[in-house]
Amino acid sequence: MPSAAELAWLIPVLPLVGACITGLGLISFNRTVNRLRKPVAWLLISCVGAAAVLSYAVLAQQLAGAPPTEVLFNWASAGTFNLQMGFRVDALGAVMLSLVTTIAVLVMVYSDGYMAHDKGYVRFFTYLALFSSSMLGLVISPNLLEIYVFWELVGMCSYLLVGFWYDRDGAANAAQKAFVVNRVGDFGLLLGILGLFWATGSFGFEEIGSRLQEAVAGGSVSNAAAILLCLLVFMGPMAKSAQFPLHVWLPDAMEGPTPISALIHAATMVAAGVFLVARLQPVYEPFPAVQATIAVVGTITLVLGASIALTQMDLKKGLAYSTVSQLGYMMLAMGCGAPVAGMFHLVTHAFFKAMLFLGSGSVIHAMEEVVGHEPVLAQDMRLMGGLRKYMPITSTTFLIGCVAIAGIPPLAGFWSKDEILGVAFGSFPVLWVAGFITAGMTAFYMFRLYFLTFEGEFRGNDQAMRAQLLAEAGKTTDDQGDSHGDDHGHASHPHESGWQMAMPLAVLAVPSVLVGLLGTPWNSRFGNLLDPKEAAEVAEQFSWSEFLPLAGASVGISIAGITLAVLAYALHKIDLGKAVAARFPALNDFLANKWYLDAINDKLFVQGSRKLARQVLEVDSKVVDGVVNLTGLVTLGSGEGLKYFETGRAQFYALIVFGGVIALVVLFGSLG
Amino acid sequence: MPFPWLSASILFPIAAALVIPFIPDAGDGKRIRWYALGITLITFLITVGAYLNGYDPAVEGLQLVERVQWLPSLGLAWSVGADGISMPLILLTSFITSLAALAAWPVTFKPKLFYFLLLLMDGGQIAVFAVQDMLLFFLAWELELLPVYLLLAIWGGKKRQYAATKFILYTAGSSLFILVVGLAMAFYGGGAPSFEYTDLMAKDFSTKFQLFAYAGLLIAFGVKLPIVPLHTWLPDAHGEATAPVHMLLAGILLKMGGYALLRFNVQLLPEGHAQFAPLLVVLGVVNIIYAALTSFAQRNLKRKIAYSSISHMGFVLIGIGSFSALGTSGAMLQMISHGLIGASLFFLVGATYDRTHTLQLDDMGGVGQKMRKMFALWTICSLASLALPGMSGFVSELMVFTGFVTSEAYSLSFRIVMAALAAVGVILTPVYLLSMLREIFFGKENTELASHTHLVDAEPREIYVISCLLVPIVGIGLYPRVMTDTYRASIEALVQRETTALAKVIQPPPGDLIRQPLLSAPALPA
Repeated sequence: MPSAAELAWLIPVLPLVGACITGLGLISFNRTVNRLRKPVAWLLISCVGAAAVLSYAVLAQQLAGAPPTEVLFNWASAGTFNLQMGFRVDALGAVMLSLVTTIAVLVMVYSDGYMAHDKGYVRFFTYLALFSSSMLGLVISPNLLEIYVFWELVGMCSYLLVGFWYDRDGAANAAQKAFVVNRVGDFGLLLGILGLFWATGSFGFEEIGSRLQEAVAGGSVSNAAAILLCLLVFMGPMAKSAQFPLHVWLPDAMEGPTPISALIHAATMVAAGVFLVARLQPVYEPFPAVQATIAVVGTITLVLGASIALTQMDLKKGLAYSTVSQLGYMMLAMGCGAPVAGMFHLVTHAFFKAMLFLGSGSVIHAMEEVVGHEPVLAQDMRLMGGLRKYMPITSTTFLIGCVAIAGIPPLAGFWSKDEILGVAFGSFPVLWVAGFITAGMTAFYMFRLYFLTFEGEFRGNDQAMRAQLLAEAGKTTDDQGDSHGDDHGHASHPHESGWQMAMPLAVLAVPSVLVGLLGTPWNSRFGNLLDPKEAAEVAEQFSWSEFLPLAGASVGISIAGITLAVLAYALHKIDLGKAVAARFPALNDFLANKWYLDAINDKLFVQGSRKLARQVLEVDSKVVDGVVNLTGLVTLGSGEGLKYFETGRAQFYALIVFGGVIALVVLFGSLG
Repeated sequence: MPFPWLSASILFPIAAALVIPFIPDAGDGKRIRWYALGITLITFLITVGAYLNGYDPAVEGLQLVERVQWLPSLGLAWSVGADGISMPLILLTSFITSLAALAAWPVTFKPKLFYFLLLLMDGGQIAVFAVQDMLLFFLAWELELLPVYLLLAIWGGKKRQYAATKFILYTAGSSLFILVVGLAMAFYGGGAPSFEYTDLMAKDFSTKFQLFAYAGLLIAFGVKLPIVPLHTWLPDAHGEATAPVHMLLAGILLKMGGYALLRFNVQLLPEGHAQFAPLLVVLGVVNIIYAALTSFAQRNLKRKIAYSSISHMGFVLIGIGSFSALGTSGAMLQMISHGLIGASLFFLVGATYDRTHTLQLDDMGGVGQKMRKMFALWTICSLASLALPGMSGFVSELMVFTGFVTSEAYSLSFRIVMAALAAVGVILTPVYLLSMLREIFFGKENTELASHTHLVDAEPREIYVISCLLVPIVGIGLYPRVMTDTYRASIEALVQRETTALAKVIQPPPGDLIRQPLLSAPALPA
């Protein structure tokens, strides 16, 4: 009986097999397979479920202290080169495997309810399984090359899923934007991988790390070149994990169905960048400049995400910017040389953010009963309010998520975020200040979301507001309600979602509350698993006198943020619109326009590249082809002239050719 | 005497084509198309038989050699054979042609002539890859021009006359260089003239001669590949061709250029290659970026894909110029991979045109509502074309990149700049391909288009053709050694030859791009 680690290759293969079966079925027998909704769902959920069971077995082995396993084979070879592929199971990978499979199964169960009325139900499940497979493959990749392979594949799945409702223009644009922005990051990643291979002759993480250090010490690679290569590789995680300035695709990606936003754009795929940076710690560690850059990028991102989230009116967009901000925290931890802290925040964030997104999906699903299938209406918080009465499970779990992300002990977010802030305080005090203030903003915007959505009176039947929102989005009332399933925008108030959607929310609430306790600084089980040596050191150095002031301060600022939100949105004591937005219109515009980054991108890159392409085509057809056609015309003209001298065309040409040949033979002969 | 596999695969389709006029047919081409499909399939089986029975991938030299004296006074012999460079392309040719015959199902205009030309091309193209004699090569090269010219001029779109004329002038004009250089090489050094590759390989051409001969051949093959700025025939020819012809043009014809570059420029003129290789790399990068930009700006679907072909051929050039076994292997694989992917994309263009009756992207939109399966096939093939891992394009591009970056022949700065520029293609390719998908399939249905046309979804025949192409695409993508191992020995011998020549070339070429060893070799994994 082989051990679970030896069977780890099955973890990505199982969902892949399921996806291939249904995918081929969809192309060959479209109608029949589309009707087999429940069997397909069962098949794919059991594939991912089996992968989950196997992942837990792998994790259990790692917890019991099993050594890392690596299996490789020659994938491509030429000359002396061998490009290897295979899989690798270690503690970090085992944690990610369990995390991804757990959330994937829950999201799939949830989707059964959420997508129940959608025509693309089977296609959706196929994509989900395909994504799970790619993501799991990424997690067990033993080297950079294989990471790149699955990196692209998860990107493709994200493209397919963001563009799932392909009749919506917004979805089409967002899908393309997501793919292209990620390719910009991959451009750097690819060059970085190639460069590191040139410098070290290896794609493996540890080998690259040690050999690069040797090469720099030996002088065969300059320090600057090594830093450049490291930063090029970092471009990949920047795009995938939505770090400034490549974060622009993530908020747009919310055009995809909400279960996707939970699985891909909050819990798993966007965390892949953080995961890769954690894997690359042996490479990055010797270069403080690289670490500092990562930390600064992370900090800019966390401030940017939180500040934009302050003004968002779209529930999902608000959560999306919150994800950007939290990813910034993780990256900050990586930059501070504390991958364990970053990974821990990744895990806790995955649970509560997945829960928050699924909760928002439940809200949107309920809103659609009232306002119809129009994202502009169903996702806008100005039409929500008072939903707690109608949706008790959703509102309770959403509240738990808000408390968790705000960093109130003993919920998950407190422990992980506080650990990061603690490390940052030690390494980069300036960045700590930014992270600390942002913690307050986080608490504020999350509770703003909560109060606007679930408290107060239900505003969904406010026709004037509906019309205003549609007008702002440039749509008319006739547009609303499109072809997705039955358009049932006739209920007067929303209802709680069915068990398929409520159950995953309830399940995710448990780790959102408890998982943080695995990473208490005085006895971090999480740290013990990933890096026992460092965890022991941390536990030894731990002192309450250091921990309490920092923790107290961050809890304090969170409570301040929550209080402000309560005053403004629950008790309506302060009108922030008048008090702040009206007084500082420039700041408000700056935030509402998302730091003007989309506008700059559009002007500079989108319009710029189109213009350049048009000009090149102009040159191609006018100049390059023009010369050709001109030559043709001249030949025709001279042909007309020569016609009069011509006696027999064939002989004449033969003569010309023969003469030319003779001349060239003579020429070559004299040269040789 | 063993069965003459290669001669059979060349002569059988040509002989079968000659029978076509005598086949009784009602004029609708139904019997002819089954006949042609059968012949192309048998030809494919013959080439597979050749591969299985007479070809050993571990041998680096010529195999399956057949030699018959033809015109001894001219030194002309019927001499065919295959090594690692030609065998995969022979298989590709017969494979794509059999699918093109299936793709030609809707052709009803002058079916006899159409299939006659198709079969003629089948034999002619296999001959280009199989012959081992430069004069024969020239004949085969020209023989295959005529069918293409007629196929373009008779079955093409509105500007077919212009496109066909441009094609024939371009290629015939450039192929003069082949003849001239071939003659010069055959007569070089005195003695009895011989056009056979093996004899030419044994000759010790002077470096200066090699340079001139190389330049001439580069123009001839550069038109075919094509290399920017010799490419302008291609968008016109591709823009006017019908789907099956298109598949042959993109799938096989372009590969003749790459094959000939490897066969003549690298193998016969290694010292010339050592001097010219940096230029090839630069031209490759220009191809990638320039054609990607023009493709992005194109509003006509066929021309867009045509430009994307040019862009992908850039990787072939970089691979050939890389002086590394990995890079050159990658160039070979890119040819095969693009043969498959290009053929599938052009087939889809044809299938889509049959339904929309327009190729202008501005007139399309929201087509995905009615044609879901077609949408899926388009998405898969576009993703293959933008080098998604798991498909062949990714492996070949990766091999070219890795081979070039680790190549010892170039200075570090040259490698950095060229690799970075080539990698810009990694960004540009999805930009134009995904924009294209968005404009055709995404969004609200274009009501005007929907009212004029009958948008039926993909039929089984179309799904079958694409599946046949996808099997090798995905197979190579998952485990590239199924393909690379068939030609590995030959490519390694070839790279050995060019590396020796590189060492012989003493004076640095203009621009100092070829580097004498400066850097210590990086530690490579055993």
